[in-house]
Amino acid sequence: MSAAASVSAAPAAGAPLLEIEGLCKSFFGVEVLHKVGFTVHAGRVLGLVGENGSGKSTTMNIIGGVHQMDSGRIMFGGADYRPKGPRDASKQGIAFIHQELNLFRNLSIAENLFITEFPKLVPGLPFIDRGAARKRASELLAAVDLDIPPTTLVNRLSQGERQLVEIAKALGAKAKIIIFDEPTTSLTTRETDRLFDIINKLRQQGIAIIYISHILDDIMRLCDDIVVLRDGNLVGKALKADMTIERMISLMVGRNIDQLFPPRDSAIAAGPPVLEVRNITQRGTVKDISFSLRAGEVLGVSGLMGAGRSELARILFGIDDFGSGEIIVNGKALTKPTPTVCMDNGMAFLTEDRRAEGLMMEAPIDHNIALSSLQAYAGGFAHKIDSTRLNADVSKMSASVQIGARDIANTLVKNLSGGNQQKVVIGKWLLREPTVFILDEPTRGIDVGAKNEVYKIINRLAAGGAGILMISSEIEELVGMSDRIMVMAHGEIRATFERGAFDREELLRAAMWDGIRSNAK
Amino acid sequence: MKLSRREFTVGALLAAGTMGLPIMVKAQGTKTVALLFDSLVSPFWVSGIEIMREKAKANGWETLENISDFDDNKQFEQVKAMIGRKVDGILIIQTDSKAVIPAIRAANEAGIPMVHFNRPPAESDAYSVAIQADNRKIMADTVQFLVDEAKKMGGKYKACLLIGDLGDVNAIQRRDGFFDVVDKNADMIEVVARVSTEWNADKAFAGLTNALQANPDINFLVTSSDFMHPQIEQVLQTAGKWHKRGEEGHVLFAGFDGDEGAYARLKDGYLDACGVQNLFLEVDMAFQAFIDMWAGKKPEKLLLDPGFVITQANLTEKQDEMWGYTVWKKQNG
Amino acid sequence: MTSTDVTAVSKPRAQAGWKRLLLSEYLVLVLTVFYFAVMWTIVPEIATADTLLDILRAMMPLLVVAIGQTFVLIVAGIDLSAPSIIAMASVVGASVLTGDGGYANGTGFEIIAGILAFIAVGAVIGTFNGLCTTRFNMPSFIVTLTTMMFFSGAAIWYTTVHTDASSIGNLPRGFIGIGQGTFFGGLPFSLFVVLVVGGAAHFILSRTVYGRWLYAVGLNPRAAAVSGVPVRRVIFWAFVISGVCAAIASILYTGRLETGTPVLGQRILLDVIGAAVIGGVSLFGGKGKILWTIFGVLFLTVIDKSLQLMGLPIASVFAIKGSIILAAAVIDAVRHRVLVRG
Repeated sequence: MSAAASVSAAPAAGAPLLEIEGLCKSFFGVEVLHKVGFTVHAGRVLGLVGENGSGKSTTMNIIGGVHQMDSGRIMFGGADYRPKGPRDASKQGIAFIHQELNLFRNLSIAENLFITEFPKLVPGLPFIDRGAARKRASELLAAVDLDIPPTTLVNRLSQGERQLVEIAKALGAKAKIIIFDEPTTSLTTRETDRLFDIINKLRQQGIAIIYISHILDDIMRLCDDIVVLRDGNLVGKALKADMTIERMISLMVGRNIDQLFPPRDSAIAAGPPVLEVRNITQRGTVKDISFSLRAGEVLGVSGLMGAGRSELARILFGIDDFGSGEIIVNGKALTKPTPTVCMDNGMAFLTEDRRAEGLMMEAPIDHNIALSSLQAYAGGFAHKIDSTRLNADVSKMSASVQIGARDIANTLVKNLSGGNQQKVVIGKWLLREPTVFILDEPTRGIDVGAKNEVYKIINRLAAGGAGILMISSEIEELVGMSDRIMVMAHGEIRATFERGAFDREELLRAAMWDGIRSNAK
Repeated sequence: MKLSRREFTVGALLAAGTMGLPIMVKAQGTKTVALLFDSLVSPFWVSGIEIMREKAKANGWETLENISDFDDNKQFEQVKAMIGRKVDGILIIQTDSKAVIPAIRAANEAGIPMVHFNRPPAESDAYSVAIQADNRKIMADTVQFLVDEAKKMGGKYKACLLIGDLGDVNAIQRRDGFFDVVDKNADMIEVVARVSTEWNADKAFAGLTNALQANPDINFLVTSSDFMHPQIEQVLQTAGKWHKRGEEGHVLFAGFDGDEGAYARLKDGYLDACGVQNLFLEVDMAFQAFIDMWAGKKPEKLLLDPGFVITQANLTEKQDEMWGYTVWKKQNG
Repeated sequence: MTSTDVTAVSKPRAQAGWKRLLLSEYLVLVLTVFYFAVMWTIVPEIATADTLLDILRAMMPLLVVAIGQTFVLIVAGIDLSAPSIIAMASVVGASVLTGDGGYANGTGFEIIAGILAFIAVGAVIGTFNGLCTTRFNMPSFIVTLTTMMFFSGAAIWYTTVHTDASSIGNLPRGFIGIGQGTFFGGLPFSLFVVLVVGGAAHFILSRTVYGRWLYAVGLNPRAAAVSGVPVRRVIFWAFVISGVCAAIASILYTGRLETGTPVLGQRILLDVIGAAVIGGVSLFGGKGKILWTIFGVLFLTVIDKSLQLMGLPIASVFAIKGSIILAAAVIDAVRHRVLVRG
């Protein structure tokens, strides 16, 4: 597939490009970084890992000029480095590629590349040299292997292509260090491989890379040096050769997780079917989908982006329409499902995009958890809420899913970490005690500790007799959690694997075979 | 973050307390009169309020002003505020003749004289004095002048009347004054168009344009208000009918109100006659009504301004009583 | 502790006090009291019992409209049709009530019939707004702008059909009492109406399932839909409530003026939305409380009354009102900055 895994730099040699010593930073009296120090070398990739809130972003924001350090010292190319702001940092040769990309979608690639400084016809006068701009843009795009005319509008590009444009922009600014923050969360596997190829190329050109990610596999695959942060402290610093995934996890969480995936009692997975799907077809999204989900079973759904997994989930929960087929929940056929009908029949649905469809970000935790269950706590003509009973149950639920917040009535969800936000959504659905729970990317963008807690909740739920349909792009996770895995591609079910017969390569092949073939022509 | 109720109360009391008890010194014996307008959208009202300010000052009175912007409820609030200020008299130009009745009652209760300027209120048990131009008579006199001119020249006439907003009693009275005379001369004058303008210049423009298309031979034109003159001039010019008196194809043309445009067109010979509301006299009558009521008298509920007709013949003699001339003089040095 | 420590501590404490005031939900009320105190030095008559009672009376109808509008604002909509509902209900209600050949005149039920006519107009127009917004997914701005224009015109047409004059008068005394009457020696009867409407609105928003749903729809309609909230129904009823509230306000206005007029309330739209927003209700939805709306209405009414009392020429009135509202907006912006910085 890709040469990425085989490429690696020689052990560090010569003076470091960036040298960080005793970095401290506090916000409102709370120390978020405590004497952090590490070095970055030209032509090497440094992997930075840690749970959410461990200080990765703060460290990078200081390097990127967004925040100022309280104390400590950064040497960049042998000179004292104290950027006055993000623009100053980028002028000095630091490029920061954020998780949420900073491109203007309604402008062309070329315009984005030169948004801060267009080539001028006459220096000092505001006339753009369009010819020079196009030529330079083509060069930069070639450097990141992107074969697209620079006049293309950014909103026509895929997520992966946009990322490459960002990298081209960094190259255009003559960056010496490029920082990547979670670059692969919204990329397909192929796009990820392509990105890694580019990163390897940059490394060979002598550019230093700082790579932040939750996906430890990627870190192992890509990085030369690895730095682990926990609670604002540096807890591990090693060459890749001296590091394992297990060790990274235990350093990150500060305790040994012998197993990231908690053990499951698969004996229960023989209950009656709770969800039966027969020949569901909807033009353009899914084709002839049939399967059944039993009580106590975790059924994983694998596939590439655009394989129709989320579309299927949305159909099952009555959000989107379907052309033909049958959905039977707990023995009852849902002829015209809507979210309300599905919920009344014991279904729950955790959407892949928790910001857009899962949460009221501006509302407190308790209101979010209560939202789906309000009617069960209300009565009388006016549907007055029995707030004593509701608050008691919501508090109990919040504790049971271990949301790390003291005051659930006054903490807004937007102020929570990704993991805690996800637990709020889960808590909302668990309050309804669902018998069929559809989870779409339940651990996307959350840290290892929170992932583990989410897994435990899923197991607990399955052990309680619920059927769980879990969609995920992390094969590791599906293999670790599922009783069965269905693989989807092009809106169809391509293969189903039983636990015991899970094979990562087979799973990937089932998901990709068609994709590769159709792309080859 | 919340402020407790107690903290709030203490804070509020402190804030109020530190301001101290304010004292406003008011000259003893000075009368204060409130001028409550519903708008200042036409030169008539602007001139009106200016004349009132000047005459009040000359009387040694103070004035307070409020504009309701055609909002009946707001005007009611303004009357109550003026009662709160304990003014000595309220002069009001209401939008709606019925909705003003509660305001009159409130003024009666507070014992404050109320005078309606230019628009009388609807019938009610409440007492107030209204000053109004004798619209029907002034309009009849004006149209009579035009008819006499027509008779002198002989021939048949096709007439057009621009009517105001029929919700306004002034508009109705002016229309009636027009027909009082025209109906008597039906053998000579045929009314071929009645343009409903709702006191809106754009509607007047469109309406008159349509009327002229349907009846290109209109040669007798009366408008219920002078503020529509610019539109009339434009339409007639387009139709090639804008000529001075004595010229071939002159349209007999009369206006009403007596604004600066009417003065200019009279002077230039395009306008034959104009029924003038004697604004100066009306303000005098209104203020006299206050003085009478302060003295305990009870003037009639409706006092009429006889107005007058101004024509080329009496222009120099009467122009000082025409409010539009004052405006024109100011504008033209 | 040494003395230097004491000063070091007390300064942040004083700052914290200001910050608390700035962030408090009573801020608008504090500003109103402050403004009132300043005005007291300029027009002492503002502090007389009569004027205070006047302010209370003037607030009432505006408050009822603003409460209805708050429901729509919470679901991130806007109801521009409130003034036309007030006007239409006023003339329809008056045509039922009037002693000059009203539909229910002399039946003995005229007051009940009249009030029902008012409410029906509000409910019907509100229903129309709600249906268009939810069934055809039209932006509420466009829907209510259209209904506003249509019914403003329809109210005038309706009046011309029923009378030669520009308004419908001669309403029964019993009805007028709703707008003008008093109870408990001086308190306006309209206060009683507002207490009922405001109390019910507060109860709905803070205690019922529907209230929680309103906020959920305003904060994130997609998340609400996925969570089983009947989003369309919630939005629909918000418009009906707004329509009925405008109709109730129309009863109060019409009663005060003893006249059904088709231009009633034509200019209050900005006051209604302005009051809610100044109080803290968000135009982007999901945020609002009846208490905030009350404060906003009080603020605007006090400003209006003070300017009326001053009796200044019109140009200065607009300038002053504009600058006061601007000052309030600036304070609100500062408050947001403090909130964001924590």
